[in-house]
Amino acid sequence: MSKKLLLEKAHVENIRLYDVYRREGGYKSVEKALKTMNPDSIVEEVKKSGLRGRGGAGFPAGMKWSFIAKPEGMPRHLVVNADESEPGTFKDRYLMEFIPHLLIEGMIVSSFALGSNDSYIYIRGEYAWIVDILEQAIDEAKANGWLGKNILGTGFDCNIHVQRGAGAYICGEETALIESLEGKRGNPRIKPPFPAVQGLWKRPTVVNNVETIAAVGPIINMGGDEYAKIGVGKSTGTKLISACGNINKPGVYEIDMTITVEEFIYSDEWCGGIKNGKKLKACIPGGSSVPILPANLLLKTAKGEPRYMNYESLSDGGFATGSMMGSGGFIVLDEDQCIVKNTYTLARFYRHESCGQCSPCREGTGWMEKILWKIESGKGSSSDIDLLWDIQRKIEGNTICPLGDAAAWPVAAAIRHFRDEFEWHVANPQESQIRNFGLAHYADEIHVPVIA
Amino acid sequence: MSEQILHKVTIDNITVEVPAGTTILNAARQIGGDVTPPAMCYYSKLEGSGGKCRTCLVEVSKGSEKDPRPMPKLVASCRTTVMDGMEVKNITSPKVIDARAGVVEFLLINHPLDCPVCDQAGECHLQDLGYEHGKEGTRYEFKRRTFHKVDLGDYIQLHMTRCIMCFRCVFAANQLTDKREHGILDRGDHAQIATFIEKNLKNDFIGNVIDVCPVGALTDKTFRFKNRVWFTKPVDAHRNCNNPKCCGEVQLWMRGDEVFRVTARKDEWGEVKTASNGNTGWICNTCRFETKKASDWTIEGPSNINRHSVISQGHYVGVTKPTETFSEVMKGRDPKLLMDIHDESEVNKPNIDLSLLDRPAHSTDFNK
Repeated sequence: MSKKLLLEKAHVENIRLYDVYRREGGYKSVEKALKTMNPDSIVEEVKKSGLRGRGGAGFPAGMKWSFIAKPEGMPRHLVVNADESEPGTFKDRYLMEFIPHLLIEGMIVSSFALGSNDSYIYIRGEYAWIVDILEQAIDEAKANGWLGKNILGTGFDCNIHVQRGAGAYICGEETALIESLEGKRGNPRIKPPFPAVQGLWKRPTVVNNVETIAAVGPIINMGGDEYAKIGVGKSTGTKLISACGNINKPGVYEIDMTITVEEFIYSDEWCGGIKNGKKLKACIPGGSSVPILPANLLLKTAKGEPRYMNYESLSDGGFATGSMMGSGGFIVLDEDQCIVKNTYTLARFYRHESCGQCSPCREGTGWMEKILWKIESGKGSSSDIDLLWDIQRKIEGNTICPLGDAAAWPVAAAIRHFRDEFEWHVANPQESQIRNFGLAHYADEIHVPVIA
Repeated sequence: MSEQILHKVTIDNITVEVPAGTTILNAARQIGGDVTPPAMCYYSKLEGSGGKCRTCLVEVSKGSEKDPRPMPKLVASCRTTVMDGMEVKNITSPKVIDARAGVVEFLLINHPLDCPVCDQAGECHLQDLGYEHGKEGTRYEFKRRTFHKVDLGDYIQLHMTRCIMCFRCVFAANQLTDKREHGILDRGDHAQIATFIEKNLKNDFIGNVIDVCPVGALTDKTFRFKNRVWFTKPVDAHRNCNNPKCCGEVQLWMRGDEVFRVTARKDEWGEVKTASNGNTGWICNTCRFETKKASDWTIEGPSNINRHSVISQGHYVGVTKPTETFSEVMKGRDPKLLMDIHDESEVNKPNIDLSLLDRPAHSTDFNK
């Protein structure tokens, strides 16, 4: 049984409500932080904890906080990114829906550390009912003196506002989120200036994922050093994984990053194996934009070592043989899934969600979708596969925001690892319409050369 | 004013000193020539423009003197400021050439390529870009994205199919007019410039969006299909415009005495020049669309077109005369005349005086 910090009390009935949450030891971190610590020591504690951003990029949160500019007389803001739109990711939804006070608690502490008197939760428009849950939680917290003016008599004022997005994936990118929060079209800004210098209304702003901020509470409670002891290496603490796809027990799991991928998929404690006794074909381990991995490379790294569920191990081997932890959207594909179709679906998503600001992403995503549809519908030629590779190469790294990369990586990885399946589609146009390529050799043992 | 801090930046091995805060693109423009990256969306006179088209991507091989690490990705030179000791590779970097060709391809896959019937042809930045940085063929084999033509009032025609989404017209409308009435609808590859529920654009200065448009998406309805730009002769002219914001300094595109088109004066980067009063030379709709008689204007003289496009054909700016190689061939001798054919040859019978004949000369005359 792995250690739980965020979802420890998730099973308690009515933990959503303030009274129950407080009875279970909630808001202790606020008391500790506001009464016994100063902002700098909180930042120091978060730095010590090694907490990494849970939104996808995995940037150390304490480091991000220490970058915030502090000009005289200029308000600063904390913005919580709850625009969780990555296909396959639904951990923040679970957290906000069932334990909203955990987020509020983390936000109060973080706001105190950053000196933000007005903090925002930017939530995706589709999570309409969660807005009500959050606002109820904020009202309860306010009624009990945890928010508003002069919190706990420390002279610190803080208000939390919930803002709904209008259903755009791109608004999960921090500068697009800020634009949207300002009431503008959600186009990513050109960086620099970074939000830590000029963010919301040109004020210094920190944008963090829901899970990151929620983890601040436990960190303050147990101390940064203690938190850093959980996990391995630079992957400290616990991580929420939203597992979905062809598994027996889809859902949100909290792991402490010490278990292997194999254990996570097959153990009854977690995903419970592949549904209907099928075999594992491939997996997208961190939300739709990270590279897909075939079963053999997923369970073992290219060196033949078992792969663990943590930041370093999942990205072991770079993009050639590895993937990324990403946002923790763990999508499992069994032997009946068609990689070409899967890639097409993702390409269609990115085409639809591209903001249209910069040329490579705007035109390239649409082009990739069209080619993938052509291959998927049995009209492709083998030059299309090379063309696809060339297009993704020209999008990656040449765009304003990471959406271009996010659109290019899944296509690149699919071609890199499953090229024979693409070629089979091209060579057998009729057969590809009635049956799937199947598992082929994707689960075979990897040959590891012995190095003396 | 305090002393300006100068930063030394090396672009394609050419070093130039520019004030701190200058972008790489503007530093490269000071050098000029092939070193300057192309820019489709950046417009130095419009605040906030740039960064979108990605044609100006360059490689920064050395960040600065203090921090010599190269930048990990190609950067948009129009929005990246120079650091002291920065080293930039533009045309010397194969990565940049490759990425730029990719961007040009992306820009062209949904472009109709209807240059033969497009009014912008000849002064179109996309044409220049495609010619200089693109490939000869396309690998795109799907249906191109099309839009219906939209009428934006009496003066401006929007042909969205040609648009490359540079956002310049949006910035121009934001910064020149009181209230912007058009903008971007939708997103991704179906994003479009539009007015919300078709509206006329009526502001006094809205005509300038035609000047800032790098392609033929926004065209002048008073000039549409009247002539090709390279047949008209550009001359600088001015008038006393009543509009206080208008500088009244324009370029007339004439053929004979007829004024076909009035535009703002543009510099070598295709951007509106600074007027004599120090402001940017934006012009009002009255000057642009309604003052089309040569007698309305005081003509200053032919415009100096130093762009490389077809407009400058016949203007012979910067032409160099071929050097004389005669003395070189003759090994230093410099004879005044090599051969006097009349002295040497008797074929033409110089002693026959043709003027004395009362008829056309005939071969028999020479056989005497």
